[in-house]
Formats: sequence, structure tokens, C-alpha cells
Amino acid sequence: MKQGDMMHRLRLDERELASRVAFFEISDADLRRLSSLRPLAERHTDEIVEGFYQLLLGHPETRKFFADEATIRRVKRNQRDYFLGLFTGQLDLAYVEDRLRVGAAHERIGLPPKWYLGAYRRYMQLMDQRLVAELPPTEAKDAFQSLRKLVYFDMALAIDSYVLANLDALQRHQAAIRELSTPVIRVHAGVLLLPLVGTIDSQRAEQIMEAVLVRIVDEQAKVIILDIAGVAVVDTKVADHLLKTTAAVRLLGAQTILTGISAQVARTIVQLGVDISSMHTLSRLAEGIELALDLIGKAIVKKVG
Amino acid sequence: MRGSIPILRVGGNLLATVHIELRDKVAEAFQEDVLETIEKTGAAGLVVDISGLEVVDTYVARVLADTARMAKLMGARSVLVGMRPEVAATLVRMGYAMDGVATALNVDEALILLTAATERRI
Repeated sequence: MKQGDMMHRLRLDERELASRVAFFEISDADLRRLSSLRPLAERHTDEIVEGFYQLLLGHPETRKFFADEATIRRVKRNQRDYFLGLFTGQLDLAYVEDRLRVGAAHERIGLPPKWYLGAYRRYMQLMDQRLVAELPPTEAKDAFQSLRKLVYFDMALAIDSYVLANLDALQRHQAAIRELSTPVIRVHAGVLLLPLVGTIDSQRAEQIMEAVLVRIVDEQAKVIILDIAGVAVVDTKVADHLLKTTAAVRLLGAQTILTGISAQVARTIVQLGVDISSMHTLSRLAEGIELALDLIGKAIVKKVG
Repeated sequence: MRGSIPILRVGGNLLATVHIELRDKVAEAFQEDVLETIEKTGAAGLVVDISGLEVVDTYVARVLADTARMAKLMGARSVLVGMRPEVAATLVRMGYAMDGVATALNVDEALILLTAATERRI
């Protein structure tokens, strides 16, 4: 996912930025203080980054994310940039975009948030030690407070990008399931088949109708066979959905054949008083295919000789 | 308004391609054009192609159904072709399935349907 796209989907505009800055209580004084600490930060960048990676490389759970020396060199370089980014005194949309990139990168390599947050604690400890060693006590305390605000701000963005990436994955899976639940098959030129399996609720019925109609027009199919042998329950609602689909298919200029009607289903439909006489209905799929071929002027014949 | 929807002669049938929304004056003019052409040519069939319509509400659907009924009174069978999937889904959802109006997938199919019907009659 592009950062710009993420900014848009997280609604990260000037207003959202202002509200986050207010909530994390980051003041101009904080930003000025951080920017005045930059020389100190620069002096200690290397050792802090080293200390940080000692933790990450010292545990097998996180060690595996760093395949070789080249990768380690590269991530250390990125880490230096990230670290010094805390001391620019700038907190604008460009900064936010840069920080989102960090979360997206972690998500991409599959680093779970627990290690991200855990490693951040080490980071804070390393910074605190340097501040206490180099500054008078009150100044060190103030500096640490300012730093902590910005670090939490960053962490919130990283978590946001994790959540967004998970949401994307979820939507992809749902789309895949939707596609699998309406496998429209072309059995012959001009004849389509949709074997229905499982439960048909209103949402799925809509998907079925949509998929059927689109395929009929795409393939210019004259007949669609709906096989309901695998449908768990056929009640008034399901029958109504099937009737609606039949009516819509007719509007396109095609016909529907309903097959796979068991004795149980036939009984239920009549007992419920549902009129499905507008549909061609048959018990077996094989008969449905024969009828479909008949409707398009073809037939299955035995070979002579 | 008259003549804004072209009506072509194809053999003994007429082909009207609706590419603008059938509202008020346009709908009225369309019906007049169709009936007048049937009267002049004695066409046995009418094919109305609506593949150009992205939206068909119940009003437009009723105009189309009425036109088919009027044509039938003058002895011309109508076939509606080219309805888009989303249009069909919407009409059915609104409970307007245009019962009684013959449909076909495309103009070719419609002409085959009309020819078969004419042959049966003779």
C-alpha cells in the first residue's frame, strides 16, 4: 500500500494531525526542546542503534527477520534516520507520512506488533540513559517527557498502519470467499451452471443474482441451470430469492432451470404455498442439462454404429 | 422531440435503439414514432434495444411495457433486448419484473424469435 493511499484511508489530514498533536499534548516547546537535543542525539546515534539491535538480534523470535549482514546494515542505516527524525522539531504531514512507512515496512516483513512495542521499550531506555548522563536532572526529565510524547505519537501511527493492513487482508479473503461461493460454470456454448452449496441468506442471494446476471450478459448465455441439491435449507425466503433471480434472468432474455429438487424440498415448497411455476424445475442435474440443450435447439444423441 | 430515438426497418421488423432516458416528452414522442412507423410499414415485429441505458426506473420500465402493449394492439410483437445486469437486478428488487414483455439477449436473438413467431402464424 502506498503511503499517500494510507494517509487518505486513515483520514490523516491537517485536522486529524492537529487533533492527534493535541491529544498527545505535544507543544511547540516540546518540539523546540527536541530540536535543541539534536547535537546530543547525533553524538549517540550509533551506540543507541547498536544497543537496539543487540536486543533484536539476541532473540530468536526477532533474529529471523534479519536474514544477512547486508540486511542488518540496511536496517541500521534506516534506524539512524528514524532516530534522528525525532529531533528535527518538525511535526507536519510529511513527518506523519514518513512514520507510516515504518509501520508498513514492519507489517510487510511480518513483524508482529508485540516485538515492535517491546523493542521500543529498549529504545526508550537507551535514550533515557544518555539524557540522564549528559543533562542536569530537571532538563533530562523534561527532555525525556518531550521525547516520550513524540515516540507515543509514532507508535500510534505504526499501530494504525498494522490495523489497516490487516483490514486489507480481511477484505481480500472475503472477496475470495464470495467468488468461491458463486462458481458459475459454462457447460456448453450458451449454457451456464451454478451449483449452490450450503446456506443461502439474503446477502449471498444478492451475490448469486449479481454473479449470474453479469455472466449471462458476458457469455450471452441463453440458459442458466441453478442446481440446489447442495443447499441445506430451502424455505420461503430461499424460494423467493430463486424466483427473483429467475425474473431478473428473464429480463435479460435468458431462461432459468432449477435442478436438484429433492422429495423433501418439493414437499416443503408446496406446503409453504410458494408458487415456482414460472421456473423450469427438475430433480436431476442431468435432466436439466438435457432440457437446457433442448432450449437452445440441441440434443445429446447416441452414436450410430 | 419526435425522431430523437431512431427507428430502423430490418426486413419486416422495426429496430429502435433507445440511448436517452424515456422521460415525459421523449417517452410520448417515442411511442408516437413507433406506432406511426408500424402503421406506415405494417411491420410484424418491434425490437427495442436498451443496452445504452444505464438506469431504468419503474417509470421508464412502464413506458417500455406500455409501448409493447400498444404495438401488440396494432399487430406487432415486441421484444426487449440488451438490458444490463444491474438494471434487471434493480427492477426485480423493486418488484417490477415486466411480466408479459418478451425479452432476448441481443438483436440477433430477437429477430430469430420474431421470425419464428411469424412463420408459425403463416
